[in-house]
Amino acid sequence: MANLNFSIDLPVRSEWENVDRLRTSIQNCFTAVFSDFAGCQSLAMVTGELVENAIKYGDWSSADDRRFRLRVWGEGRSAHVLVENPVQHGTGHAAEVLNTLGWMRNFRSPIEAYRAKLLEIAGGDREGGNSKLGLVRIAYEGNCLLTAELVRGVLLVEADLTV
Amino acid sequence: MQSLIVGDLRIEAMEDGVHPAVQLLWKGKSNNRYPGDVLAPYFRDVLTTADTRKVPLELHFEKLEHFNSSTITSIIQLIQDSRARGVKLILIYDHALKWQKLSFDALRVFAKDAMLELRAA
Repeated sequence: MANLNFSIDLPVRSEWENVDRLRTSIQNCFTAVFSDFAGCQSLAMVTGELVENAIKYGDWSSADDRRFRLRVWGEGRSAHVLVENPVQHGTGHAAEVLNTLGWMRNFRSPIEAYRAKLLEIAGGDREGGNSKLGLVRIAYEGNCLLTAELVRGVLLVEADLTV
Repeated sequence: MQSLIVGDLRIEAMEDGVHPAVQLLWKGKSNNRYPGDVLAPYFRDVLTTADTRKVPLELHFEKLEHFNSSTITSIIQLIQDSRARGVKLILIYDHALKWQKLSFDALRVFAKDAMLELRAA
């Protein structure tokens, strides 16, 4: 990708249809700016997986205005995707995200972690729908560094990509 | 053999007298929230067909634009089920598409015998 600065910051309604809207929008927007189609696809995949997690596991039970925050920005050769969503206290999702990121650090490379996760799913060690495969995929296919933190009931997950 | 259309995903079942396989052509995007709900019963049917006819099951992903990680989980389940039933599974992808190359190269972790073949088109 060229060395261009960009920034998108959106309060997104928590509706499943928005996953693909955002994923394809990111892909189309950045393909319009950059010539690296595969890199834009990676950025779009990363966005899609993080948005899926926010909608699936966010706490949308009490909020009148069910929205999460999506930020996508970049400078130089770096791109970043940050998703912020409320999580229900005690449901374990935030802990699972943090645990998964810690688990990934036990591997020498993202591909090793990804293969291990595939085998874990095949072995039926975890419920398929809650395997956190998406996070491991982001690290592997998106070549991203993932970080997460829980701040006053809001989970922030950030993927940093060098392009 | 029936085709499957669900949301943005279309799986076309192809059969001809020449090609000795049940062929499934994936098109569009697999972005369903719970893809397993529709893919699992569909895969059961196509596995039964392939098993009855004693032919491999061949999945073509070259025309697929995107799949989410939940779809990968469904494909892993299919790999398990086809092996259990003794049906050879062939996954064909476009290695020129970076996302497909990365996704399917990783699935080679399951290619431990002749029952699973990953083929770069």
